[in-house]
Amino acid sequence: MVRPLSPAAVALSRPFRLGRAPGAGANFWGLAWQRFRRHRIALAGAAVVVVLVLTALLAGLVAPYRFQDIDLGARLQPPSTAHLLGTDTIGHDVFTRLLYAGRVSLLVGFTAATAAVSVGTVIGATAGFYGGALDNALMRLTDISLALPDLPILIVLSKYLGGSVSGVVLVVSLFAWRGIARLVRGEVLKLRGLDFTEAARALGATDARILFRHLVPNALAPVIVAATLIVGQAILTEAALSFLGIGIQPPVPSWGNMLQNAQDFILSAPRLAVYPGLMIFLTVLCFNFLGDGLRDALDPRLRL
Amino acid sequence: MHRFVIRRVLQTIPILLGISVIVFALLAAAPGDQVDLLLSGIPNITPQDVVRLKHIYGLDESVQIRYVKWLGLAVQGDLGWSRTYKEPVAHLISDRLGNTAMLACAALALALAVAVPVGIYSALHQYSALDYGAMLFTFFGVSVPVFWFGIMLIYLFGVTWHVLPPGGINSPGVAPGFPMLLDRLKYLPLPTLALGLVFMASFTRYTRSSMLEVVRQDYVRTARAKGLPQRIVVRRHALRNALIPLVTVLGVAIPGVLAGAPLTETVFSWPGVGKLLVDSTLGADYAVAQGIIMVISVMVIAANLLVDVAYVYLDPRIRYD
Repeated sequence: MVRPLSPAAVALSRPFRLGRAPGAGANFWGLAWQRFRRHRIALAGAAVVVVLVLTALLAGLVAPYRFQDIDLGARLQPPSTAHLLGTDTIGHDVFTRLLYAGRVSLLVGFTAATAAVSVGTVIGATAGFYGGALDNALMRLTDISLALPDLPILIVLSKYLGGSVSGVVLVVSLFAWRGIARLVRGEVLKLRGLDFTEAARALGATDARILFRHLVPNALAPVIVAATLIVGQAILTEAALSFLGIGIQPPVPSWGNMLQNAQDFILSAPRLAVYPGLMIFLTVLCFNFLGDGLRDALDPRLRL
Repeated sequence: MHRFVIRRVLQTIPILLGISVIVFALLAAAPGDQVDLLLSGIPNITPQDVVRLKHIYGLDESVQIRYVKWLGLAVQGDLGWSRTYKEPVAHLISDRLGNTAMLACAALALALAVAVPVGIYSALHQYSALDYGAMLFTFFGVSVPVFWFGIMLIYLFGVTWHVLPPGGINSPGVAPGFPMLLDRLKYLPLPTLALGLVFMASFTRYTRSSMLEVVRQDYVRTARAKGLPQRIVVRRHALRNALIPLVTVLGVAIPGVLAGAPLTETVFSWPGVGKLLVDSTLGADYAVAQGIIMVISVMVIAANLLVDVAYVYLDPRIRYD
């Protein structure tokens, strides 16, 4: 079993492979990284995602104010040196709030994707591995949840579960596992008939070991791609719920609730509506570019 | 063939039942039942009255009994009573379903009208500048938040340039009938564009990749080899087959367009079921939300069924038996 190396680790290890042609003898992840590097737009997306994550983590250092700071004497100010992007309707510094809102959005996005991958992998892997009645039951469940209109249900749920960040994470990840479950089931079905599974079983490996040591790691590539896209989708959903007033609640800033607040001031201060929307757009776009690049890199047979 | 259709119809029954359980549980889990919400404004009510009211509403029975009763009524078209609108839920929904259907159809039609030609061109001129441009556009289309895009459209076309009305569905005082329909045309473009954008993007991608696949098929090479001009090969041989997968995509898009309607309708104050869902949810009028979700689910399942059946007719290579 080849131990998965992160692309960064592969990149670091390259100078030590002197005397070899690029790509020669490289493992799966090394080849993937070489393919990924050629995908310029995905690289750009990855770079922006890194910057967004860093500013979200370091928001306390980068932001000139605290997100709850209010200056009632300076409401709806245009951009200036004191307030880089101006102030909002009750005198918050918009730049500061955009940074902190990014922290919330990315937190929701990454947590939802993690939850979706964990739940989806367990359901999909169990269904694919054991087959039979269990598979039937789990896949029926997935079918039913796929036929449910997701956004309307999320709207109702977040009316009474939303408000807090953890509530929103729970609501947003509720439907995100479906795609992963189907994906993992398909991969496991394909892999479980192969010789290396038989070999592992012959050596006396337990079901759990075969599943999580041999089958799931081999299904990792498409899952990584799907997870990247889920992060973007989750950010979009969180923004939508917050925009409707049932997601993240003020004073905690979120791009969605900033946009909701700005909607009533579209005539006097349209820029307040432009910034948060642009941030959502840019973030989701970068995750989608990143996902596309990863798809090309990790699964070269699949092209869309 | 008939057996396939019948089996496929029968398959939807457990799915529908499963959905009804989930949708009912959604409401049952809501904090505060109808009576609690009703009484929140009345301080001097006696506990006996509360018990009596709960009995009248049937809330003193077990969840299972309430589910069966609710399902029995829902099947007959009775989706309950809205406590904020003081109207039967089924009434509220049927009043607005037409508006949503109109918007959804317009959005899907716009998406197809743009996506099919662009997707075909992209596929036939793969790696050309226009192909790259179209692919970049599809990324923008799936990444843009529809509510923000809607606000920007309102700001530009409705507020700054005064070209189109910023929201609503009809001018006040318009005579019903044909003048109303004509007037509607001014209100339709902005929400149609907002709702249709994401489908435009995904349809473009599907058309392109489907066309790319078909163009590589043997029968297209054969058509070329026997000397047919490009125009005929594209139109008669490639296009017809390339468009079949689009039927599936369209089937998936119907639930998507209904699920996406709440945001677009809210931004544009379009009086459809989506806006009704948001308004009733914000007002904790969960019976309405429950009814809408149930109606949308049934429509989604019907659309999926239709697509599966249509597929067999469109593509004779597919056989189910």
